[in-house]
Formats: sequence, C-alpha cells, structure tokens
Amino acid sequence: MNLVEMINVNRQYGSGRTLVEALHPTNFSLNSGEFIGIYGPSGSGKTTFLTILGLLQSPTQGKIFVNGRDMTKMTSREKTDLRFNKFGFVLQASNLIPFLTVKEQFKVVDKFTTSRRRKMNQNELLNLLDLQDVAHNYPSSLSGGERQRAAIARALYNNPDIILADEPTASLDSSRAEQVVQFLANIAHESQKGVIMITHDTRLLAATDHVYEMRDGFLRQQN
Amino acid sequence: MFLAIKEILHNKTRYLLVVFTVFLISYMVFFLTSLAVGLARENRTAVDQWDAKTVVVSSYANKSMVVSTIPQKQYQQYTDDKNVAEVGQMTVVSQLKNSSEKINTNVFGVDWKSYISPKLTAGRLPKTNHEVVVDDALKNDSIKLNSQIKINGSDKYYKVVGITKNNSFFAVPVIFSNMDTFRELKYGSSQIKNISALVIRNNKKINKSGLTQITIKDLVNHIPGYTAQVLVFSFMIIAMVIITFLIIGIFMYIITIQKISLYGVMRAQGIRTARIIESLFYQILVLTATGAGLALVFMGVTQFFLPKTVPFYSDWLAYGVLTLAIIVMALLGGSLSMRRVLKIDPLSAIEGE
Ligand SMILES: Nc1ncnc2c1ncn2[C@@H]1O[C@H](COP(=O)(O)OP(=O)(O)O)[C@@H](O)[C@H]1O
Ligand SMILES: [Mg+2]
Repeated sequence: MNLVEMINVNRQYGSGRTLVEALHPTNFSLNSGEFIGIYGPSGSGKTTFLTILGLLQSPTQGKIFVNGRDMTKMTSREKTDLRFNKFGFVLQASNLIPFLTVKEQFKVVDKFTTSRRRKMNQNELLNLLDLQDVAHNYPSSLSGGERQRAAIARALYNNPDIILADEPTASLDSSRAEQVVQFLANIAHESQKGVIMITHDTRLLAATDHVYEMRDGFLRQQN
Repeated sequence: MFLAIKEILHNKTRYLLVVFTVFLISYMVFFLTSLAVGLARENRTAVDQWDAKTVVVSSYANKSMVVSTIPQKQYQQYTDDKNVAEVGQMTVVSQLKNSSEKINTNVFGVDWKSYISPKLTAGRLPKTNHEVVVDDALKNDSIKLNSQIKINGSDKYYKVVGITKNNSFFAVPVIFSNMDTFRELKYGSSQIKNISALVIRNNKKINKSGLTQITIKDLVNHIPGYTAQVLVFSFMIIAMVIITFLIIGIFMYIITIQKISLYGVMRAQGIRTARIIESLFYQILVLTATGAGLALVFMGVTQFFLPKTVPFYSDWLAYGVLTLAIIVMALLGGSLSMRRVLKIDPLSAIEGE
C-alpha cells in the first residue's frame, strides 16, 4: 500500500544570487512494510527532503500525496493533525519535551490524541528500547543514546504509519546503533509501517530494503 | 492543564519569580486600596450613619457643611418634620482631664430624639448639657466611658456617658452633644439658634432662598480634600494594575522567546498551536492567581500588625474586584506573546541543532 508519494517536488532557498536548489525535482514513494535508507554528505539536502515528506515544510513546487490525499490542498491545521496521527519523527535534534519524563512524553500523546487508533504498549516499548530504568527521568538526565531511544519510543508510541528518522544513530555506539536499526527494520516488516532512515554510516544500510543516495539535491536509488 | 503545570513545576525558580512579582504588585495594590478606603471612611462614616438622602446647607457655603451656618428663621418651618433633622458641626480640639495631649475631633450637635441621634454600643444618651457621646476610635487617645474632657479649652468638663462607633467626619472622630452645648461651643451662647445643616431622609424638596439642597454624595465630595485624596489613590491603584499588564506581558514574552525551539518540537510532533496558547494562558492564570492569592493572605495578616491609628480598612469586595482586574491584565499581557506562538514554525525543531 502506498503511504506517501512525491511528484516532481523541489525546494529552493533564497532568491536571485543566493538561490540554493536544496532539492531538485524529485519523484519518490514509500509503501507500507518498506524500510528505506538514505545516505549522502552533509548539506546534500537529506533533511530538506525528509521534512518536506513529513509535512514540516512546503515544497517550492510539486505535489505530495499522503494516503492518496493531496497535501498541497490542506490547511495548516489539517497538516498538523496528520503529523500527529500518521507520522512519527525521530529528529536530529532531540524531539523530547524537556520538562516531561520519558513516560510523560507518552502522556502528551494520550492527552492530545484525536484519533481512536490503537497506541503501542508503553512498557513493551520501553523494554524494547531498554528504557525501563530511566522511564521516570527527565531528558536532561539521560545519556545521548538514551535520549535518542526515548525519541524513537515517543515517535513509535502513536503507532504512526510512517516513521521518519533523521540520523537516529548519530549519538549511539555502533552496537547500539545496529540494535536501533534492526528495531526499525522489524517495525517496518512486522507492523507494515513505512520507515525512512537518514544516515551517513553506510554500514547501517545493510538492514534496509532500498538505499538512496542524496548528492547536491539529487536523490538517486541505489538498489 | 498537564503541560502548563508540568512546565511550571520543572522550572520552579523562573516561575516563582513571576509569582513573586505578581504577589508584590497585588500586595501594594491591596495595601493602597485599604489606605484609600480607610481614609475615605474616616472622612464620611458619620455621614453614612445618617442613612439620609439629601442635606440642606447655606448657599454661601459652597456645598461644604464645615462652613455652613443656617439661622433659625431659615430653618424653623421644617423642624416639625420627622424626616428632617438639624445638625450642628464644628471642628474642635479636645483634651482629656489631667492630660496635655490635644486631640482633633468634631462636635456634632443633634437632638437626641431625632433619627440622626448616634447608635450606642455602650452607655446611655446624655441627660444634661455636660454629657456627651463619643466615637470609640477615641479610645486610642484614652477617652472612654466616664472620661472627663475639655472641648476647645472650655472651663467646664464634659462627661462621656455613651459610646458609638463608625462615626468619623473630615478624618477625625465625632463627639455628639446636644444642640445647646454645640451652640455654646460654636457661637458662645445657647441662645443663638443657628445650625449647620438640615439632614433629610426622604424625597422632600426644600427650595428657599439662601439655602441649597445637595445630595449626600455631593456633601461627601465637598469635604475639604476628600475628592483629591480619592483621586490620587485611584490613579495610583489603576496605574499599578496597568503595570501588571506590562510586567506579566514582558515576563511571559521573554519566557516564550526562550521556548521557541521547544514549541517547534511540539509543533513537529503534531501538537496544535491552540493547545500551546491554551497552556500559555493557563500558566498565566495559575501564576497570577497564586501571586494575588498569597497577597490576599498577607493582607489578612497585615491588619493585625498595623497600629490602630493607621486609616486601614480591609475591603474584601474591593480586593476581589482588583484581583480579577490583575488577572485580566495579566492574561491581556499574555496576548503580547501570542503572535510569537502563532508564528512558530515546526521546522525550528530541526534548526535547533
Ligand atoms: N532554512 C534554510 N534556509 C536556507 N538554506 C537552507 C535552509 N535549510 C537548508 N538549507 C540549505 O539547503 C541545503 C541542504 O540542507 P540540508 O537538507 O539540511 O542537508 P543535509 O540534511 O543533507 O545535511 C544546504 O546547502 C543548506 O545550507
Ligand atoms: Mg541534516
């Protein structure tokens, strides 16, 4: 099943002499059960691509369909609700709320959830990501790896169809990084989610189904 | 609200500062109000006790009872009316027997049978020209039941036989005497049948040349200094309430600016802007209500530590209204931050690194 589709989407920053084409016209689609890896040098446009796909910013041109709906025709509130219900973000910077403990991050989802979709089991999620011992800690007292895993747990809790992870393993050691990647692969394959992971560690791409390379704003499929 | 409270508890110092500021402002507002009301009351409680509608004073007096004198031929036709009472007012200096302390007071000359005769809390009404009733505020100057006092350096002593309360005029307590005593003190003889004013409790209209009928409100406003005092205090209180708007507005604006990237994270997670704004206003409500509430508690305590001579009156209705005004102002102050919150871009969550 197709989850998101991009048709001829590009993104420019600035104008005139300072114009940067961060993303050249791109076609892309993500299906459920698919785990896609994207790698490329810094500044090549990976984050730009991911945030447009995740409705965090609008493309300069082109269309994006989420579950067949054209997002260019949506109000910003509809996009916000869609983000809440369909997308799980694991961002480069921590996407945890600093004044809430790990467990309370889930509570925010409980409080504000508008749809009746089934959420993931909190304890299962904490176990899976080895966060049981720090469930009642605030983000500031977590290690970099714990914080990253907590962010993943937060992103998954909503049981989103699409998981977008921007360098989720950046602050993890290699064995922990492999665990996280394996976990994302399992989520994609067993729960039929669409997962996109950005990384610059090409060794981690082994677990993905498809690999794309981003270079100077051009996205190319590698396998 | 979960987010609002969690955030306050997690950043205690920052938000305690806000509470403390609101507390200080509210406390000052309440304190000023108490002084204003206290002073205003000392100017007028004796007048309020009459529970009358209008007062007739001499036309030349410019609505001031203090300078009004009405000769007998101008008022005698009204004396049979039960709803019209004659009053004589005089500002005097009193002195307790065997004391050199001089005390500023009023003498109100009344007919003990009229409706403006003072309500007693102790003792009895006078029977002779040398007996008086005094306001119980004079106990601060040791004037009590059975005290002997001199008025305006009189040779004779007047004996206190009755006590009344809440009878103050022109910021000093009232001593009630009969008309004869008043006339002797003011005009030197009880044969000069002048009075200061007629006090009317029904809708009777008096239209006579040389006399002016004014409302009680008018009378009070023309007590020398009264209007100026009330105005000065009102302006100070209003200014402080408006300052609340600015202080809370600026405080919350600074806090909001510091939280932009956090708000970005929340927006990226799909939390609606409306929720964030709700949380902002809920925080302001909780913080100001706590600050003002604390100030109210302190007000309750303060009155026990103030000397009795300070014109301080706890007006809880006024405190309530002002608390509401402060909270409303603080909430309005929050709207200064609203524009910033509305403009928050979920992308700022990513740019935060
Ligand atoms: N908000 C922005 N304004 C201007 N230029 C931007 C902005 N965001 C990204 N860029 C530019 O777009 C290009 C791609 O950036 P980005 O997508 O962050 O790359 P990556 O994630 O691969 O490191 C870079 O040249 C970057 O400088
Ligand atoms: Mg990036």
